[in-house]
Amino acid sequence: MDTKEMTKEEVLERSLARYKKERDWFKFLLDTLHMIPEPTEEDKLQMKLLDILLNSKELVIDAAVNGKPFIAGYFCNAPEIFNAMKLPWYMLMETPFLAASAPYLAEDIKGTEEIGLGSDLCTAIRLPIYYIETGQMPIPTAVLGLLYPCDGAPMLHQVMTHNKAWLDVPVYCADPPYTSDQRAINYFADELRRMVEFLEKHTGHTLDMKRLVEVCEESNRTYALWQEYNELRRAVPCPHGWGIGGAQAFAVSQCFVAGDPRCTDWFRQLVKCAEINVAAKKGPPGVKERIRYLWFDIMPYGWVFELMPWLETEWGAVLVMDMFGNFPYTLIDTSSEKTIFEGLAKRNLIDAPMIRQARGTAENFSADIRRMVKDYKIDCVIWPGHMGHKDGSAAAGIMRETCRELGVPFLHIGLDLFDRSYTTPDEVKDRISKFFTAMGLG
Amino acid sequence: MIVGGCDIGSATGKAVVMKDGQIISYSIVASTTKPELTSRMAMDEAIAKAGLRSIEDLAYIVGTGYGRLKVPFANENISEITCHGRGAQWMVPSVRTVVDIGGQDCKVMSLNDKGKVLEFVMNDRCAAGTGRFFEAMARVLGLTLGELSELALKGKNPALITSQCSVFAESEVVTLVNEGKELADIVAGLHNSIAGRLNSMVRKVGLVKDVALTGGCAKNAGLAKALSAQLKVDVIKLPHDPQITGAIGAALIAAEKAAERGRAQEAATSTLRGKEA
Amino acid sequence: METGLKSKALEQFQEVTATLINPSVRQWKDQGGKVIGYFCTHVPDEIFTAAGMLPFRMRATGSDGTELSDAFYSSINCSFPRHCFNMALRGEFDLLDGLIVPNSCDHIRRIYDNWKSQLQTGFVEVFSLPKKTGEPQVGWYRDELLLLRGKLEKHFGVKITDEKLRSAIKLHNENRRLLRRLYEFRKADHPPITGAQVLAVVVAGTAMPRDQYNALLKELLKDLEGAEGIKDYRARIMVVGGILDDPEYIEIIEGQGGLVVTDFLCFGTRLFWVDVPEKGDPIEAIARYQVQLRPTCPRTYGDQPRRIKFIKDMIRDFKVDGVIGERLLFCDPWVVEHYMNDLDLKEAGVPFLKLDREYILSGKGQIRTRVQAFLEMMGR
Repeated sequence: MDTKEMTKEEVLERSLARYKKERDWFKFLLDTLHMIPEPTEEDKLQMKLLDILLNSKELVIDAAVNGKPFIAGYFCNAPEIFNAMKLPWYMLMETPFLAASAPYLAEDIKGTEEIGLGSDLCTAIRLPIYYIETGQMPIPTAVLGLLYPCDGAPMLHQVMTHNKAWLDVPVYCADPPYTSDQRAINYFADELRRMVEFLEKHTGHTLDMKRLVEVCEESNRTYALWQEYNELRRAVPCPHGWGIGGAQAFAVSQCFVAGDPRCTDWFRQLVKCAEINVAAKKGPPGVKERIRYLWFDIMPYGWVFELMPWLETEWGAVLVMDMFGNFPYTLIDTSSEKTIFEGLAKRNLIDAPMIRQARGTAENFSADIRRMVKDYKIDCVIWPGHMGHKDGSAAAGIMRETCRELGVPFLHIGLDLFDRSYTTPDEVKDRISKFFTAMGLG
Repeated sequence: MIVGGCDIGSATGKAVVMKDGQIISYSIVASTTKPELTSRMAMDEAIAKAGLRSIEDLAYIVGTGYGRLKVPFANENISEITCHGRGAQWMVPSVRTVVDIGGQDCKVMSLNDKGKVLEFVMNDRCAAGTGRFFEAMARVLGLTLGELSELALKGKNPALITSQCSVFAESEVVTLVNEGKELADIVAGLHNSIAGRLNSMVRKVGLVKDVALTGGCAKNAGLAKALSAQLKVDVIKLPHDPQITGAIGAALIAAEKAAERGRAQEAATSTLRGKEA
Repeated sequence: METGLKSKALEQFQEVTATLINPSVRQWKDQGGKVIGYFCTHVPDEIFTAAGMLPFRMRATGSDGTELSDAFYSSINCSFPRHCFNMALRGEFDLLDGLIVPNSCDHIRRIYDNWKSQLQTGFVEVFSLPKKTGEPQVGWYRDELLLLRGKLEKHFGVKITDEKLRSAIKLHNENRRLLRRLYEFRKADHPPITGAQVLAVVVAGTAMPRDQYNALLKELLKDLEGAEGIKDYRARIMVVGGILDDPEYIEIIEGQGGLVVTDFLCFGTRLFWVDVPEKGDPIEAIARYQVQLRPTCPRTYGDQPRRIKFIKDMIRDFKVDGVIGERLLFCDPWVVEHYMNDLDLKEAGVPFLKLDREYILSGKGQIRTRVQAFLEMMGR
């Protein structure tokens, strides 16, 4: 597709067309789920998630079409704040994170190669660049950009501001310190305060501190429930597998409705489901648990259906924990503005999954593996080695050493979570099979 | 005026002799490990075929290809990118995109209406999309290159080969054979996979008709068909052996340089004469 | 490419650049001096000079493998830190008394974690660089520098006074001025020095005591006065990119007739085009210089318009015919920066060639072909 210059009107038309196409994909998934004759409680949770997701998308479409304020933001620049400000929002990186299973993705990935961004740049970065450059990204009122955890993030936003159609869109990016001490937290809290000033200035929405307190307290309830849920996942057999868990929990709580009662309700339901299974000593339907693995990344959304179910049926391998299910989010002390912003700074700089491992020095690659192996009685650790996690793969030796000390087998695969042609699902299955066999697992 | 172009590639050496803008002979020889030797073999053959006595009969020779620095009798060397562009466009003036598949590399060039290269992309880091890939696949399947090409045209349900790497694609092929897939379908799938890669490269420089396929692998009808399908534009047929495209381009540039040199000598001579007078 | 330049100073620079640990570093250590290794131009080496130490910019010159670092890094990591860490594991950097690893990029920053887990260097610290150019970032950098000063003082038992910092700034600025004078020679229609030679000069400056370096630079500048200019080139080239410390790479470009007359590189103009302010509080001055005043690289968000303007001004001032954008494989910042450079230079009508490379020079034939085709495309 041509990356020629487009007017704002052309971009609006084209980007809404793609955005609606994506919404329709989720609607299709939801409709498919509705066709299940006797949906399980877990199926109902998926449906609820899709409802919430679709609702968020409709708000964005409505804002774009009717000229109301809406923003582009991220799960790690304090969505509690934009929810408190009642700002509809979406993520520039939404497609690879949420819609990677969509059928048009392979074509779009080819598109990224055609504009000169090859397979040594993270697909989650090059896809949004491609959409922006081809006028397929909705232009919001203001953008909250992202400068961490990886090199790709700032570059995506640099291309965005370079694009002529986006020249007059105000952008604010909070600067991430590399360290994680009190000084870093104070600095980042100030960056978040400046972010609020920016949002108020450019969207006309104001931040009501009372409302922020409500949102933070609700989010505290959510995360306390998530903590409960994760404790239930420690059970043997694990009550849930890859099908429901961290990924969905993360989407609901950080991608759409942080600090919203719908979110807390969803988690209550999730905990109930897990409790039932634990009481019945049941795991995912039809699975006899033989291997408990830690998948130390997000799931390979681009081809997840071609790998995860096979792991369960072929090997009885259950994904007990993954990176996005492991979130020890700070509960926010809402007693003052200072403690609130400090709490938000901690969450978004230090606690958030993937951010916590990749942003600063590599301790958490090691520390998180240690904790999770112990807590969840993990039999083996898989570092998928996504092609975009350059810093993570540079810590592969550290992870391997940690697993050696723990006496737990470690597998480093090397794949693209979104692009099946980088390392095909068959190759991945082959490597995992060889690994399980060699390590005497299952 | 008679000139020569010599294209020394990894798999074959090509030489073209042109006289007054027409090809009077050409040769294609298997490359040896010494480009100096390969170039002599190719050029000697072309000269003999042209009925010339010796290399001295050529006013100017341009060397190109990966061995171009080692063509001992070349007056100068020009990149194979420039030469392929010129050669293709001379054969068919409407050509604006050239896809060249060599023994060890593949490249795509976009041209203006004078055959000048506007943009190019090259893959010379891996075997995918090169002659080596086809050779390896033919070997795995126990076919000759000719049989491989014919079979590609017969595949009705081309298999999906997803691996980007030719080594892993080989494993995929073996798996498909073991699963009892139709050989023609596997081969067609391989061609589609290569065509897909080439398509990507074409889009990087921008697809502008007409598209020409050059290099040794251009003679593979199955590849031309697969590429045309992917580009949604028919690859045009060239009036000469596509494998000598680079050598033709080199010869054309040789002719220009010879003419230039001739003019320069004339100007110098007439200045001298002027001075004497 | 022939130059008539005869210069003992240049020969010395070339030797220093071609060696990993050159004699002046060993001499420094023998005399009881301390050597601090560091990555990246964003680490203010003035502070090491002020501490009486020799700042040593990390390289992996002469590396022939990554067999040891492969256990820590992976195949999707940049070859530069992989080779550096491999040299370290082989003991080539045992003489370092300290190492500063900033968060320049995803690949380099992990040298900190891996180095700490495998080696015994006494003083290994991170240096947290901001990614934006605002006032709060100048403040952060300033505090980071104060902390570093404190750590150096404590560990090495030295006092880094403001006075010493001011002297160091003056010394490093002199260095910068001399290098800018060197580049002035290259504006001429027939520069007396090649790009490969200049790269050797610039790299050498990061591996020897600054005062010695300044003295040698002055000699070189004298040698250049009246030296014969280079006439047999086809085009004037500017090289834009990241870590490039191997003159042989430039030689390949120049071997095709593309005379490199200027650059925008880590071992290049980004180092010395602007001076650190010599007035006011020295820590504040260095912080402001590093965050706002100096030419940045793609890791600094929000500054691409200024970077491309810098490049365009260079093209104008040095009469550049074509730009070559190089980048190390797996480098995200440069692949995207060159994507934008490509669009901007196309709009400005400037020929632009993108070249991917590995840190240790390989694929010379492939580089030659591309550069030659590029020059031919420029009609030169």
